Formats: sequence, structure tokens, C-alpha cells
Amino acid sequence: MTVRRLLASLLVSALAAGAAYAEVRFSLDVRPILSDACFACHGPDEAAGKGDLRLDLQDGLAGVVTPGLPDDSRLYQRVSAADPDDRMPPKEAHRRLTAADIDTLRTWIEEGARHEGHWSLQPPRREAPPDAEPAGWARTAIDRFVLARLAAAGMRPSAEADKARLIRRLSFDVTGLPPTLGEIDDFLADRDEGAYGRVVDRLLASPRYGEHLATSWMDLARYADTYGYQSDVYRDMSAWRDWVIRAYNENLPFDEFVTWQLAGDLLPNATRDQRLATAFNRNHRQTNEGGSVEEEFRVDYVADRVDTFGAAFLGLTLKCARCHDHKFDPVTQRDYYSLFAFFNSIDESGLYPHYTNAVPSPSLLMPDAAAEAKTGDLQAALEACEANVAALSDSRLEAFEEWLATEPSVEPAGEVARLTFDSVEGATVTNDADAEKPGSLYEDPAFVDGPVGQAVELTGENGVSLADVGAFTRSDPFTLAFWMWTPDVKDRAVIAHASKSWTDAGSRGYQLLLEDGHISGSLIHFWPGNAIRVMTREPAPVETWMHVALTYDGSSRAAGLSLYVDGVPAETEVVRDGLFKSIGYGSPVPLAVGYRNRDRGFKGGRVDEFRVFNRQLSTVEVARVAGLAVSLDDADEAYEYYLGAVDAEAAAARDALRAARADRNAVADGLPEIMTMTEADQPRPTYMLLRGAYDAPGPEVTRDTPAGVMPFPPDAPRDRLGLARWLTSPQHPLTARVAVNRLWQGLFGAGLVATPDDFGSQGAAPTHPRLLDYLATEFVASGWDRKALIRSIVMSATYRQDSVATPEARAMDPENALLGRGPARRLSAEGVRDSALYVSGLLQEHLGGPGVKPYQPDGLWREKNGSTYRHDINAGLYRRSLYTYWKRTSPPPSMLLFDADTREVCVARRQVTNTPMQALVLLNDTQFVEAARAFAEGLLLAADDSDGDRAARAYRTATGREASPKVRNVLVGLLSAQRAHFRDRLDDAHALLRVGESTPSADLEPIELAATTMLASAVLNLDATVTRR
Amino acid sequence: MPMRDPMLTTRRVFLSQMGLGLGSLALGQLGRAASPAEHGSLGAPHFAPKARRVIYLFQSGGPSQMDLFDYKPALNERNGEDLPASVRMGQRLTNMSGNQATLPLAGSAFRFNQYGESRAWVSDLLPHTAGIADDICFVKSVFTEAINHDPAITFFQTGSQIAGRPCMGSWISYGLGSMNDNLPAFTVLVSKNKGGQPLYSRLWGNGFLPSEHQGVQFRAGKDPILYLSNPDGVSAECRRLVLDRVHELNDLAADSEADPEIDARTAQYEMAYRMQTSVPEVTDMSDEPDSVFDMYGPDSRDPGSYAANCLLARRLAERNVRFIQLYHKGWDQHGGLPSAIHQQCKETDQATAALVMDLKQRGMLDDTLVIWGGEFGRTSYCQGKLTATNYGRDHHPRCFTMWMAGGGIRPGFTYGETDDLGYNIAENPLHVHDLHATIMHLLGVDHAQLTHKYQGRRFRLTDVSGTVVRALLA
Repeated sequence: MTVRRLLASLLVSALAAGAAYAEVRFSLDVRPILSDACFACHGPDEAAGKGDLRLDLQDGLAGVVTPGLPDDSRLYQRVSAADPDDRMPPKEAHRRLTAADIDTLRTWIEEGARHEGHWSLQPPRREAPPDAEPAGWARTAIDRFVLARLAAAGMRPSAEADKARLIRRLSFDVTGLPPTLGEIDDFLADRDEGAYGRVVDRLLASPRYGEHLATSWMDLARYADTYGYQSDVYRDMSAWRDWVIRAYNENLPFDEFVTWQLAGDLLPNATRDQRLATAFNRNHRQTNEGGSVEEEFRVDYVADRVDTFGAAFLGLTLKCARCHDHKFDPVTQRDYYSLFAFFNSIDESGLYPHYTNAVPSPSLLMPDAAAEAKTGDLQAALEACEANVAALSDSRLEAFEEWLATEPSVEPAGEVARLTFDSVEGATVTNDADAEKPGSLYEDPAFVDGPVGQAVELTGENGVSLADVGAFTRSDPFTLAFWMWTPDVKDRAVIAHASKSWTDAGSRGYQLLLEDGHISGSLIHFWPGNAIRVMTREPAPVETWMHVALTYDGSSRAAGLSLYVDGVPAETEVVRDGLFKSIGYGSPVPLAVGYRNRDRGFKGGRVDEFRVFNRQLSTVEVARVAGLAVSLDDADEAYEYYLGAVDAEAAAARDALRAARADRNAVADGLPEIMTMTEADQPRPTYMLLRGAYDAPGPEVTRDTPAGVMPFPPDAPRDRLGLARWLTSPQHPLTARVAVNRLWQGLFGAGLVATPDDFGSQGAAPTHPRLLDYLATEFVASGWDRKALIRSIVMSATYRQDSVATPEARAMDPENALLGRGPARRLSAEGVRDSALYVSGLLQEHLGGPGVKPYQPDGLWREKNGSTYRHDINAGLYRRSLYTYWKRTSPPPSMLLFDADTREVCVARRQVTNTPMQALVLLNDTQFVEAARAFAEGLLLAADDSDGDRAARAYRTATGREASPKVRNVLVGLLSAQRAHFRDRLDDAHALLRVGESTPSADLEPIELAATTMLASAVLNLDATVTRR
Repeated sequence: MPMRDPMLTTRRVFLSQMGLGLGSLALGQLGRAASPAEHGSLGAPHFAPKARRVIYLFQSGGPSQMDLFDYKPALNERNGEDLPASVRMGQRLTNMSGNQATLPLAGSAFRFNQYGESRAWVSDLLPHTAGIADDICFVKSVFTEAINHDPAITFFQTGSQIAGRPCMGSWISYGLGSMNDNLPAFTVLVSKNKGGQPLYSRLWGNGFLPSEHQGVQFRAGKDPILYLSNPDGVSAECRRLVLDRVHELNDLAADSEADPEIDARTAQYEMAYRMQTSVPEVTDMSDEPDSVFDMYGPDSRDPGSYAANCLLARRLAERNVRFIQLYHKGWDQHGGLPSAIHQQCKETDQATAALVMDLKQRGMLDDTLVIWGGEFGRTSYCQGKLTATNYGRDHHPRCFTMWMAGGGIRPGFTYGETDDLGYNIAENPLHVHDLHATIMHLLGVDHAQLTHKYQGRRFRLTDVSGTVVRALLA
């Protein structure tokens, strides 16, 4: 019998301990017995099916069970049959039911044989903790559940661990760091009953608690400092990580913690923190690989949100249902896309740009207080200037009348380029407005007859560019005007633009396009969420010359963008109206006509009389440019022209406004920004995607939650906020259980459900289902108070047990599933490194900030993508590991080797391995060698009386334990051997002491320090140091 | 959670196993249980393997099949003509060439000849590979689903475009275990100083498998594997002194804690110590005769080059490293293809062929599978401007050429065919999952049976498909 089988039967027997409870329950007590002993033949595997009996189905079971009458029930008759030939399971199945199992089945039938669905989908039910032996051992309700289970397996709990071990265990579990010698001594000296509880409270109040707990939340949230995929560019999501730390430390109730992250933006009067929390949904990877299909990746991002939502909050593997109905759990493919619909409606792009460092929309500006005050002031100044300009509509009427009386003509001013294409030499096109700044032909466009002389005819890959004209910022008013002719209805064609590319640049710049046959004009920082765009309501006519003008007033608002067709204002609709950062690249890009890098050019199109103005032309000016006969008969148009082109006072007011806008923008353009969720104005329609493929839409779906889990509350809004309400409903069968289980896992190494991300029917059965429900209901009743929950667990006798196990106990329960002893496990990757830094005195503690770069072997970034990793030279080397810069395509190897996950996808539980590479890290990594030296310095400065005292101090600092005489002897032997070794090799001693960026104190004698460094290194490598018991 | 052997439940039994010598413990296994070497999660192969080791020469970026192996005279004849819609059939293109006004067919600038008794077509770019044509099995009809590098290379190495799955080497290490006692079961060699599309550690990552199955990268320079060397000032003697005392203290702890994990840790430290000798021994090529360097070409004396990595791969294979993964970047020729591909071939052709010949001479080719190929192929139309002497090609997932040799593969054979323009498969399509299934088959593994349960599902390299292509088997 394998250990797993042994364990399984142990668990089943334990489950039979339903006897200890008021009621035997199908999902908790009966189904696990049937599943283990009967399903192999009488279960879902139709091929293995025996006699068509399906005990996994309610109907099948009903055929062999008579409620209330076990002796009349064929199921009971067969499992309890005296004749081995009649008894089930048959001998050849190698599965045996214990007497307790059979009793449980009997009791269940006697009690009415009530059927239930999968355990985790039943609402948690609080049951009274059972009475169990040995009486007096239990400190809390938790212990009574644990005892009952142990008793049923014929096992006994362990004694309480000694105090030194307890405080080390607690310190690591709650803060991720070991206790100091002083903290240990205080605790040992405090003989008061409440001493333990006071340590718990002190640790829970430490800001280190938030740092420690945030780490596993970052695993779930796939937090990283880079986008992932292949280019893997830096992005700063640290403000979100810092919020998580704060939320833990301030003990934000878990239901709010979840709601803010899912839907903080939708809360009434959402605070900045509430919006910031939604970055949880944007931590997924993103790509900017050239040539990628934007929608393919956008769909992947939304799917990642859904999958993460499932694994982190529901403990369900939703991702199976992306391509087909879930094979095991009640989640259909329609359910999947109904959830998808909640996360599908933000104004985002599937690609982040590689020509700019724009933060992909939607985003949240994160100014500090000073920047916020400054932008506020500049905004106020800008608005004052706007008011001045607005006041001109009355104040200059008198001057206007005087001017009008002079019978003026309309002369469009501010022209900076005029390409008629009638004068071309080689590739140079004469600019009639400024001979110094001619245009250039690109890839030989053809010339044809145009409305005025020659026009260019384009292939889609060629055109005309102006290198020195048109470098407008978003505070500059400007106008583009030209004749165009399209041969057909274009889905998309670039007519004119000043930008580097399409998705490769997030479309940054300004552009005039044909889209679905309509003309659009845009100014863009990052498309779609940081841009303004207007589009004509009427499509452009085909095979017809038309005159087009785009004017812009410098306001960064869609209302400031106008399109004209054939000299008159076109009716337009606003497509986007939210531009709040620069449209430039830092250096000017040419204004180009007819083509764009990796975009569709104006294939077969023609352009003539291309003119650029550094002003927003007025209506009559545009008409004039379009060749219309114009008059100043219309007073409004005339006054508009007067203010815009003639009146000096108006010009001064506009100049002041432009300067104020430039000032405001200069500050606004540099404000820190973070990707968050902001619901789009119009929900994006969501379709089921056949086989999960982005380009195979099926029927449209609406937002909904899987009915098999819990129906959506009828009064909740159909958005992410409603989804959060659904999730945090006290009746929800999964949320509290999943959360409690994960916190339990953080303390015990394994959850009560061993598969924290799979509470479905393929996941592990809970070892202590009633305890899980007890904790879940307590958690909800406490107001989802995580600190209270942790406190209640660590106060239990179960948690306080010694971790030493007899070989017998270990053989019976190798994984400690029944909790008959205290938890023991190797420290996490963070724990190993942080504790070495801490005991050596190197750890630099302050909360938050962008990722830092500690030591890393050379060349790892270079060989992957040519970039260079330079480690920090100051505090960044010694910060806690949760702040380490996490590059997804090349994560810090010392962390990966200790089983940190790569942060590419949501991970709810790390592996724990034990490998030679870990030994090499602890022995040789600069971080640990330097830590050993710093540790040694501290030991020498402590000026102990003897080698033995020094060794004992080193041992106790790192392991939290007193060194036994044997341990002392071994370490003293090591110290003197090293001393002798380095005495003959002074150069070696110096070389060793030079490892790392920090410099040892010159007062310390090098041989002594080197020898003590090796002592410290040995201690840092001990099992007792890297294991928390 | 790793499963432990019940024999391990007492410390005495464990130590008596250790007494047999740590040499009997496989590196990839120690963390979990002292299973005998050769035993991964499968215990034993499903059936007798033809290949015991794999050397996978990954040509990253997407080599142009119609300039190397897939001879298409029609392309040259129709050079400059727009790709017919009847050939493209509305299939998607990348957004690099997808918005081009035209898609002109581009014939190859290179001459093709037939080689060996098998009369295999190889272009002038690969004279050395041409020389081993009769040892090679060409597959001209490989196809994949992804059209961009990251998803495509991730798909090739893990069977899924989605991150988080184990790579092929990890699966093999997990399923079959290690065959040696002082080197990793799965090693990775990346050509140094190569520009081109990035690589990512995900490609040799263990995904949801235990992390001892992640690929261990061998690198040129002071530390052939990360953290291998003792720090400055710490001699081997000094290290030994420390390790002995650490073991002594851990032994004391093991007595009081009764936790077999402590003994496992001691064994890992000993393994680490032995790797400090065994790894430099394998990477130090000074014992190779000049004739070997001559065969692999002058670059082979330059550690970290592709040629040196090919030679190192042979040395690792000799020491029974099970899965040896090479990466050579730079095959992504969107423009300026003729000169760029020439350089790529110069860097790789001789050493690639030398590796196959070397293995053959040593009698190792029979049970070593060599794989050559990239993540997709390239388009038969030109990306950018087609001129008389220059062209570029975009990514093309719908058909491309790979080759394999040794390890039970049918030599001197060509499988699959593309259409006249090299755009679609005409005969015998071979999906990436089929390739994976076939590779596993050669290793004695039924690809459908090597699974790992994670998040409620039994995952496998071939996802839910994959067919062993028996025509490729010797």
C-alpha cells in the first residue's frame, strides 16, 4: 500500500468520525467514502462501469438506498455482507471499508439518506465543535475539531512546542522574519499566562505583517515589475503593491479588500485608494511584440482576469471553460463568457507600445501632494485664461463693428505649409508657404490631374512627408486642409499623420484617417483611453474629389476638434474625449501623407493642395481654403473670423491661454500613472468564443455568474460592483472558505483543502470540512477580520504543537494532514533571504516604493533580450525580497531556485523542493556571503568572552535556539579550524571580506573576521536556520 | 506535494541507502525521494525507448524554409507577382505585413541541389548539413497555431501559448528522471552575444512541476552554472571544512527532529559539492583533440558560441544528461534576409553537422535524438520592398521545415510536402503536438500517459491531442 493510499484510507476513516457530530452529511461524510471505495467501478468512468450502477449520481444511489431503512438498502447490505463473495468492494478492488465507514453509511441511511451536491457548493454551515479526548488539551474550538479527527484515526495530538520554538514560528508566520535574541529572552522571561497572546498581538501590529502577507497575495495577483511576454519592458505597479501592504496593516476587512480590487472604481465617490486597488485586474502580462493581432491579446488579458478571479476568489479552475463546458464542475462555457463580460468593458488595447512608454489605458494619475497642488494651481490659472477668452465674445464687439465697416476680405493667416504638387524636383516638393521647409516624396508616388494642377496618387506604401512642419503639441492650435479622392470605401486608410506607428506606438500623435468609410481626426497619447477623436457622420464619397479640413483649438478636448468637408463644418460624433498626456515623442516626427509604418496607407487614393496652418482656422477661412466664395455677411462667422485672425487683444488672450495650457501640460505630462480599471461608457458586447479563439465569436452573452455556484443577486447592478456583492455575500459557498483556507495554508504550510485554487470536484477533499466551515462562518461573522482569524488560529493548541514526530506518527500521516503535530517547513524564498539579511543586520526596512535590484549573476538579462541588469549600490541591495524587481522573463534566479513562482499567472500555492542548487545559492551567492560577513561583524562587536559564546550567539541568533554543548563544540571546532586556515592564507581572508558592496569595519582583524564569516556562513546554511519548525 | 517513498520514513533506512553511495541517487530525484536513478514519476518508460537523450537545437526566430530546405522553383518563376487570394484563402497575417498594399512573391536567392542517396534538397547556405542528408529526416510540413514569436516559441516548448506550463525538458525530467549522478537531467545552452528576438526563462521553466525539473543553464564564463563557484577567498579545502561541520550539525538536528527532510538536505549539499567538480570537468574542453575542434569549426574554441555549445552538448550527452536544449537566436529576417541568413548559417551549419557526425562516430547517434528547428517558418511573399537582390519574409505558421536525426528516427527520409508556392501544406501535415508525441514516443513515453494534476486537471505536454507519426520512425 502506498503512502497515498494509506493516507487516503486514514482520511476516510477519519471522515467516518461523522459520529462525533450531530448529523452525518452526504457531502462531507458519505460521498468521500463512496468516492474512494466505489467510484472506480460505479462512477463517472463509463468504460469501467459495472452493472450500470452509478453511485456518483443521485438517481443511481436512490436505486440502492431506502431512506430510513439501512437493512433494506442494497448498498448497506452489500458493504456489510458477511460472505466475502457478496461483500463490496470486491477483493480484487483492493479497497476496504472500515467498520466506522460502514457505520457512517448506516447512520446516513437511518437519518434519511439526504443527498447533497459537491461539498464546496453548499453554503458553509456552522456546527458545534465536538467534544473530544483528551479533555483539557483543547484551547479553542479549532482544537476540538482537530481532536475529533485525530481520535477517529486512533491518533493523539502532540505536546506544546517549547517557548523558543513558538516565538520563532509565530514571528516567521506573522511577519516573515525571525525573533531577535531580546524578543526571545523577553518571552522566555514572561511567565504570565497572557505572554503568548501578547507576542501574537505585537506581531500582528507590526508593519512587517503587511509586507509578509502581501507576498502571497502578490503571487495570486501575478504582480511583477515588467509586462512579461517577450520584450518584457518595465512598468511600475508598485503603488498597488504598497496599497496591499497598507490594507493588510490597517486590517481592511476582507470583503472590502476584495470589493475594492474588483470594483473600487465603481464605488460611489470612489477614493484614490479604491481606484488604485483595481490595478489587481491589470497585473496580468501584456505584449508589444510587433505584428501581433491586437484583439487576440486583449482577449487573453480579459481571460487572465477571469481565470485569476476564479482561482483567487472562488477557488475554481474556470479556465477549462474558456474552450468548452467544464468537465467536472458546474461551470459552462456560457458561464465563463458571462463572467468574462464583467471584465471586458474597459477602454484598453491588446498591445502596449514599443515606441513610447505610455501607461496603457485606463489608468489613474498618482501625483504626490506637491504635484497635486501644483497641477491644481496651474489648472486654475488655465481656467482663468479660458474665462478671458470666453469674455471676448462680448467685449470686442465694438472693435469688430469698426473693423467690419472697413469692408475687409478673408485672408487665412498662419500658413506653414502648402504643397500643391505642381512643382516637384527629384524627391523634393516645393512648399509654397515656406520655401525653406519643402516636402519630400517617399517611395515615388505617381502624379495625376487634381482639382488644381497635379495631385499625388498613392499606393498605400508611399506618399509625401514634411520633416520640419507640423510638430504640434496638444496645447498648439492647428489646421490641416487638403483635397482627397478615395477609390473605394476604406475600412481603414491613413491619410495624414504625425506619429511613428499604429499599435506599435499606441497611435501617439495626431492623425486623419478613413475608418469604415468615414473621416476621423484624432489627437492621441495612447489609443484608446487617452485620446480625443471625432468622426464624420456621413461617409466620404467614393471616386469624388472632396475638400477636407481638420481644425484644433489646443484644448485637449474633443470639442476643440472640428472636421470640415468641402468648406463647411461636417456633422461629427465624438468617439473619444479624454486626452490628458502628451501627443509627442520628445523629438519631432514628420507630418506624413498617405502611409504609416505597419499601417494601411491610402491605397489608390489621391491628395492635392495639402496645407498646414499653425492656427485654428475659422469657418470662413476654411471655406476660403476650400475654394468657396466667402463673404462676411453672417455676423457670427464674421466675428469668429475677426477674433481668430484680426483682433490683437483676442490674440493676446489666446496666447496667454496657450501658454497656460502648455504650463499645465508640462506638469501633467510627467505625473506618475498606473493601470487601473475604469468602466467604459458603453459596455463592450461579449460573445462566447468558440474553442476560446478570439476570432471565432459565437452567441452574445450578458453579464452573469455561474448559477451552479450561486445565482446573481436580483438587486445588484450587472457590473463588477455587483459581481463583488455576489462574491462577498455571506451566503456565498466559496469566498470565505477559500480565503480562510489560504490563511490557514500560510500558517500550516498546507490548507485544510490541499488545493487552494481548486475547490471543485477534482480538487482535494477537505481534511476537516466542519472546521473549515466553522472558520469560514466565524470569519464572515467577525466582519471578515483577517487579523482576528489569524489570531484565533495561532492561539489554538493545534498550532502550538511541537513539530517533532515519532516515526510511527510520521508513517501514519506523513503530510500531517490530520494535524497531529505542529507545522514544519522550509522558509519561503523571501524568508530565506530576508532572515539572512535580518540576522546579519543588513536588512533595510522601510515600506513600499518601486522595485529594487539586489545582487544577481551577470549577463542573465543580456543573453535573453540584450538589456543590462545593474544591481543597486545602496539600500536596494538589502530591502525585503517582496520589493525585489521582478522581471518576468528573467526572474531573480536565487528566488526561483527556492520555489518562488514566475508571476506570469495566478499561483495559489508554491512548490517546496530541496535541491543542490539551493545549497549553491546559500553557500556562494554574493548576497549570502556578504550577509555572513556582516553577521560575523556583529558577532565580533558583541565581544563575547569565548569562542563558545560567540558560536552560541551565532547559532541562537539564526536558529532561535540555545546551542547544546555538542553544537557549541562543533562550531568552536569550525571556528578554530577556519582561523588556522586563514592564518596561512591572509590573501584569501582579504578576498573573502571584499565580497559585496558594503565594506567591513577596518577595526576588525581580517583573519578573525574571515574565520567568523565562515562560521556565520555555516550557521546560515543549517537546516535549523532555513526551516521553521 | 511531492510523494515520498514509504521506505524513507525512518532515518536509518534512508542513511543505509545513502551508504550505498550518493552516486546511486539522481540529481533530479533527491528532493523528493531516493528513488533509483532512471525513475521519474513514471517509474519506468512505458515501453522500450529508442532515444535515451535529446539534443534540441532550437533555431529561434523562425528560419526561412524556402531558403534552406523547401525548394520552390515556382516562387522564383513568379517572383514579384502578388500572392494569389486563392492561395492565401483569407488566412490571417501579422500586422507587420498584413497591412501591406501588396504581397509580392519572393523567390529564393540561393541555389538548391540534391544530396546523398536520399536526394534531399538543401540550399547552398548549408553545405555541411547537406553532407549529412542521409542521416536526417526532414519534415517539410510542420505547422503551428501562433503567428508571433512569444506565443509560438512558448507553444513549441510547452505545448501551450499560455504561460505557466512546463516545458518539454521539464516534462521529460519529471517523467523519466535522471540518468546520471552528478549533473542535472535537463540543461540549457544559449548562444552568447546574439541579437534577435528575446528568450525567456519560461522556455526552460518547470511550470507547475516541482522546481528541480527546471532547466539548468550552462553558461560561458566563471560560473558554468549559476552560483557554482566558491566565493573569492574560499578554497575547496575551506569549503569542505564548513560542509563537514554543517552536516554534523544537521545530523544532530535530524536525530532530535526525526525529519527525513534534513537528511535529504545533507544529500543535496553533497551533490552540490560534487557538482563543483563535475560541472567544470564537463565544460573544460581542453581534453578534446584538435581534430574535434576542426570538425566543429573555429568557433568551437570560443566558449558560449553555438559551435562550442554543440560540442558541449555532445559532452553532456556522453555523461548521460537526458535533455540538452540549445538556443540560437537571430533567424527573424523580416528584411535583408539574404545577407542575414547567410550569417546565421555560417554560425550554425558546420557545428550542427559536426554534432551529428560526432555522435555517429561515437556510436551515440543511435540512442540520441537530435532536433533542428524554429518556432515557425517564413512567408513566401516579401515583407517590405522586393528588389532584385533583397527581400524579407514575415512569420509563417502554416508550414515550415524541421529535421531530426538519430534516436530511432528514420534517416534519409523526407516527410510532408507544401504547395508550389510553399504557402500551404499539400501533404501530411504535422502539428506541434504530433511532433511532441513522436519525440516522447522515441523516449519510450506514451504522451497521453505522462500527466500531472494541477488545478483540477491532468495536464500533459500534448494538451488534448497529438499523434505519434509512425512514418518518421526508423
